Amino acid sequence: MKRRIAALVAGLAMLAFPPAAPADPVETDPDLASRDADYAAGRRAIQARDWPAAVASLSKAEVRNPDHADLHTDLGFAYRNLGQYDVAFRHYERALAIEPRHRGAHEYVGEAYLMVGDVKGAEKHLAALKRICLLGCDELKDLEQAVAKYKAGK
Amino acid sequence: MTKWTAAVLSTALLLASPTVLSHDEPGASGGRLGKVSFPTSCDAKVQPDFERAVAMLHSFWYNAGEQLFTSILTQDPSCTVTAWGYAAILMNNPLAGVGASPANAKKAQDAIANARANPPKTQRERDYVEAVAAYYDDWANKPEKARQLARSKAFEALAAKYPGDDEARIFNALYIAGTQSQADQTYAAYMRAVAILEPMFAKYPDHPGVAHYLIHSYDAPPIASKGLTAARRYASIAPDAPHALHMPSHIFTRVGAWDESISTNLRSADAARKGGDWPEAYHASDYGVYGYLQLARDADARKLMEEALRYSYGDSPLPAGTYAKAAMPARLALERNDWKAASQLEVIPNARQPYTEAITYFARGIGAARGGDPAAAEKEGEQLAAVQKKLEDAKNTYWATETEVQRLAVAAWTAQARGNAQDAERLMRAAADLEDKSEKHIVTPGRMIPARELLGDMLLEQKRYDAALKEYEASRAREPNRYRNYAGAAMAAEGMGDRKTAAGNYAKLIELAAAGDGARPELARAKAFVAQR
Repeated sequence: MKRRIAALVAGLAMLAFPPAAPADPVETDPDLASRDADYAAGRRAIQARDWPAAVASLSKAEVRNPDHADLHTDLGFAYRNLGQYDVAFRHYERALAIEPRHRGAHEYVGEAYLMVGDVKGAEKHLAALKRICLLGCDELKDLEQAVAKYKAGK
Repeated sequence: MTKWTAAVLSTALLLASPTVLSHDEPGASGGRLGKVSFPTSCDAKVQPDFERAVAMLHSFWYNAGEQLFTSILTQDPSCTVTAWGYAAILMNNPLAGVGASPANAKKAQDAIANARANPPKTQRERDYVEAVAAYYDDWANKPEKARQLARSKAFEALAAKYPGDDEARIFNALYIAGTQSQADQTYAAYMRAVAILEPMFAKYPDHPGVAHYLIHSYDAPPIASKGLTAARRYASIAPDAPHALHMPSHIFTRVGAWDESISTNLRSADAARKGGDWPEAYHASDYGVYGYLQLARDADARKLMEEALRYSYGDSPLPAGTYAKAAMPARLALERNDWKAASQLEVIPNARQPYTEAITYFARGIGAARGGDPAAAEKEGEQLAAVQKKLEDAKNTYWATETEVQRLAVAAWTAQARGNAQDAERLMRAAADLEDKSEKHIVTPGRMIPARELLGDMLLEQKRYDAALKEYEASRAREPNRYRNYAGAAMAAEGMGDRKTAAGNYAKLIELAAAGDGARPELARAKAFVAQR
């Protein structure tokens, strides 16, 4: 969670220094936050933990950018925090359909599964992260800890 | 005076200067650029230039084409269909996925606005302007992918509206190919483009765009051989266009036709330098170096690299120059298994395209690990992790994944150097599997060393000969006719006791290196083995 907010702050800070050169080929639009005011507002709302405002802004941005994996991950995160897990799962699934190796989406959907008591669902995404992060990554570490904590609490 | 008019006048003045475009240089109006027919309502006196400018557009000769379209409008201000060609040129290489720079988008939008204020005389011409405008409309608020799709859709509609206009169909094919994802290994967009272009190739064998776009549409391993006819024709269709001289080598590289690749790239680099297209000169040289190294012509490779490095690649925001500058020395070390040289390469800082720094970190890491210094290799792996993070933060998924492959490979060889064969294989196999899921970028003739070939090397080192041979053969299907591949496969087969397969691979090695320097150690082994038989 802290890492996620920190990433959002860093992302927003980057807006002040947009890349000077054209981007290279990407599957996900790198400049969405600098172009789309609703997306930027949605990310600021997440930073401020204002989940209804985040959903409102990000949903507007989604209409224009239906295939943006980060946007769906952000929407999943906002709905998750509103306790609307079914909608959250739909957005995470969409993010992973767009980018099957999206580490953030795997971590957050795994955590969402723990929130609804579905440890097997969480472990499925933990396994995916283990395949993706052969050299380790923060997302794997965080989900591993979350699963371990969940199991210890049972 | 509008900015557009001012730009037109300043370019016209430049064109009046013999130092910019003389008749003795490539780019002179009499240049050989292939046959294009593009009737317009413009003054008859500018029509030949118009068709030459369209031919330049077809051969991605952007600097010369931009000037020529501008010059035409100066000569005939009513010829505002030039806005289409001008704006199309400013979109840059539609296959590279990069698109127009903000400054060029503004220039294109000004030209389109001028054409809308002073419409071309025919509906067809107005429709061409509107088709290209689809790319630029609301440009700042759309991702490049959305612009590409808008462009493709607009030209598809244009081609449908004018079924007898083959130029519209040819540009439609180009922009369809421009929507091809590097992760789609069914090559769906390329195949749609091919379906339009192949009949056109029979109809217009001297058309520069048809041959050119066919090459791009076959620029993928399993379909590359189908592009050979177009590749062999294109350079002779438009021999004065630097890109036309280089482009066939995309196919030649895919099928391992090294002599042809070298020949056309030498001509391309020369033409590019004469035309002041420095990134193109670097790009062609990198392809040439790659070809020479496959033939074990190491001295020629070094000479070509050094010749390229004598010049600056200018300040182009495109990666052709920066990539080649980092890639050529890395190839020279890695392809020759010169691990010491690889480990000592100098990193060229490139904040704009950090994946070019990754080339050097990768080479240094592999060099250090295979030279017996796993601690140094580990440090290079950390540098690769930092580059990967930068690319991920920039949402540059393609190059982040390429860097991840390099990072996995360096970690694999670090484990191998530390005697941990199991981890080494697991990581190297993951690198190969990940690399196989996408295609190489058009900026490069090939990855520094294919990850699956490196897996073959590793299994060979682990004396798992059967498994090594299998990986070499799998790698060869994607990256054919590589020297290192034959050498590794021959040694693996020899280790297995499969003398027939070993002899076949050694024979290929000797054949490949027939005009080589003779300095590679594998050659001595190959000759000795073949002589034994």
